[in-house]
Amino acid sequence: MMSQRKGDIYAGCFIALLGAVVVYAASQIRGDVEERLPPRTLPYAVGFMTLAGGLGLAVKSWRFRGPAPEIHWPGRDGFVRIAANFLLLALFVILIDVLGMPIATFLYISATIWYIDRKRTIGALVAGGVSALVVYYLFMKFLELPFPMGLLER
Amino acid sequence: MGFSLDFLMQGFADALSWTNLFWAFVGCLVGTLIGVLPGIGPSAGIAILLPITTMIPPTSGIIMMAAIYYGAMYGGSTTAIVVNIPGEASSVPTAIDGYEMAKQGRAGPALGICAIASFVAGTIGIVGLTLFAPILSNVALAFGPPEYFALMFMSLSLIISLSGRALLKGLIAMSLGLLASLIGQNPLTGAARLTFGWVDLMAGLNFISIIVGLFAISEVMINVERSAALIYESRIKGWMPTWEDIKRSFGAMLRASGIGFFLGLLPGCSPAVTTFIAYDAEKRFSRHPETFGKGAIEGVAAPEAANNATSTSGFIPLFAFGLPTGPPLAVLLGGLMMYGLQPGPMLFQQNPKFVWAVIASMYIGNVILLFLNLPLVGWWARIALVPFPILGPLIALFCIIGAYGIRFLVFDVWVALIFGVIGYLMRKLSFPIAPMVLATVLAPMLETSLQQSLLLSQGSPVIFFNRPIAAVFMALAILSILRGAWVQFKTHAPEIALDDADE
Repeated sequence: MMSQRKGDIYAGCFIALLGAVVVYAASQIRGDVEERLPPRTLPYAVGFMTLAGGLGLAVKSWRFRGPAPEIHWPGRDGFVRIAANFLLLALFVILIDVLGMPIATFLYISATIWYIDRKRTIGALVAGGVSALVVYYLFMKFLELPFPMGLLER
Repeated sequence: MGFSLDFLMQGFADALSWTNLFWAFVGCLVGTLIGVLPGIGPSAGIAILLPITTMIPPTSGIIMMAAIYYGAMYGGSTTAIVVNIPGEASSVPTAIDGYEMAKQGRAGPALGICAIASFVAGTIGIVGLTLFAPILSNVALAFGPPEYFALMFMSLSLIISLSGRALLKGLIAMSLGLLASLIGQNPLTGAARLTFGWVDLMAGLNFISIIVGLFAISEVMINVERSAALIYESRIKGWMPTWEDIKRSFGAMLRASGIGFFLGLLPGCSPAVTTFIAYDAEKRFSRHPETFGKGAIEGVAAPEAANNATSTSGFIPLFAFGLPTGPPLAVLLGGLMMYGLQPGPMLFQQNPKFVWAVIASMYIGNVILLFLNLPLVGWWARIALVPFPILGPLIALFCIIGAYGIRFLVFDVWVALIFGVIGYLMRKLSFPIAPMVLATVLAPMLETSLQQSLLLSQGSPVIFFNRPIAAVFMALAILSILRGAWVQFKTHAPEIALDDADE
């Protein structure tokens, strides 16, 4: 659990830092200063706005002394579930080019459903298979989207 | 060019072609599904499907996208009434009395009134769109780059000031949206901006990846965290409301349609905002305000009508000025641009066949939705409650397909995943998402019009204040900023945004 106040202070500091990085990056942009709107002007403006907004949020939250609502961060189980699902999603993205879209889809859907609900092993495999077929026939054959075929190409 | 019956009839002829009719039906079906499913909203739904629609003709594609949007507005109430889980934030007020009715065994009539209210409000909204959009587009013909810049500046400031109590967070969200769109080459000079020497960033971040991440992937993460698993147990018996129900709620439908329609013209007034206003107004207007919250049918009809009227009237500034009033319309604007169509006054001049076909298709779509929603409501309610362990990965799969399908680059998928994490954190920390999305979509136009304006004025910003229309927009923008700053100064509460997740 973390209070909204504390969360806003951290978020404000992080955003201010991001704004500072953008201001620095904007100073490195090369462009013709004779332009009516030189290429670095907008990045500068947005960078300063981000920096000011972040600082403003951090200061406002720091000065706030009333009862602040809690941020409902997930518990340990929730974090593990999110991390595992995100990892599976990232793995799916990596495997798209390696195994091809249909096989990667089958693996991703089956693995994720099984991970979320262990009682659904057969259901997970069926859902994975049906999804792979939908991806292949609907998206790749019918709509002719050039997704990689991967292993199936051979 | 004003309203012309000939153009409208020609539009109907186009919209009634088998191809367009088919895609309108698909859009209504998918839209209702998106509205019904709690894990996905209209912006994400349209964004995911946008790359796929490049395979179909532009008119059919936009007809389908528009149908998804207003279809989602129809479907959002189903789970709100049946199990007290609103499909969209705009369905929250519907759940108040709708779920009470369901507990009293009157879920069917509540759902029936929702469909009728949606139909009535949708029709009123489309008639308004038909009459007002061409007139406003004529007004917009007088707009030059300074007026456009001022109009977009005003919309962004309005959207921030409507972010509930979270003005600073709205400003930050808008800055983040502008930052995301500045990455890549300068559109005019070609100079690399904020790429940090990374070649993949030279082409910029695609806004569809950003929207898919912010709305859809973050929503999946929220649901994964909750370990949501829904089980559908109740049955819908008799969906038809009685004459007494219709008589009691008809006035509410009309009043809420008016509220939703006019507020829907303003940037930032999403259905999530107007439904609450309509519900509150109806409660004040009612002779029996004590029945609200206890299953009053007017409390179901009013937010549903406002919801649909708002979503339809949002098309007026989109078509007339090229100005999206909320995230789903911003995505639709992106879709139009993807097809090489620039919404705004020239759309009615240069592509009347296209624009009238889309408007006519909305009349047809409204009828399709009534037939899809009234008799099939029990079926939709069952679909809505597919267990999350199955639904979640399927939504994520569609996100990946949608993001990958933009340019067939894995890079775009990574961008969607990163913005998924950003969206998740923004929701947790109560940052509004709408200003970020709108800034991302409007930034290129904002930059171009600023550049052109400064060229016209030889670098002087006074051009935004010495042309009457631009000056009015700038004055409104400044007023809205001052009002927001005043609210900030007066309230010492922590910054908490209104829930604008995918509205």
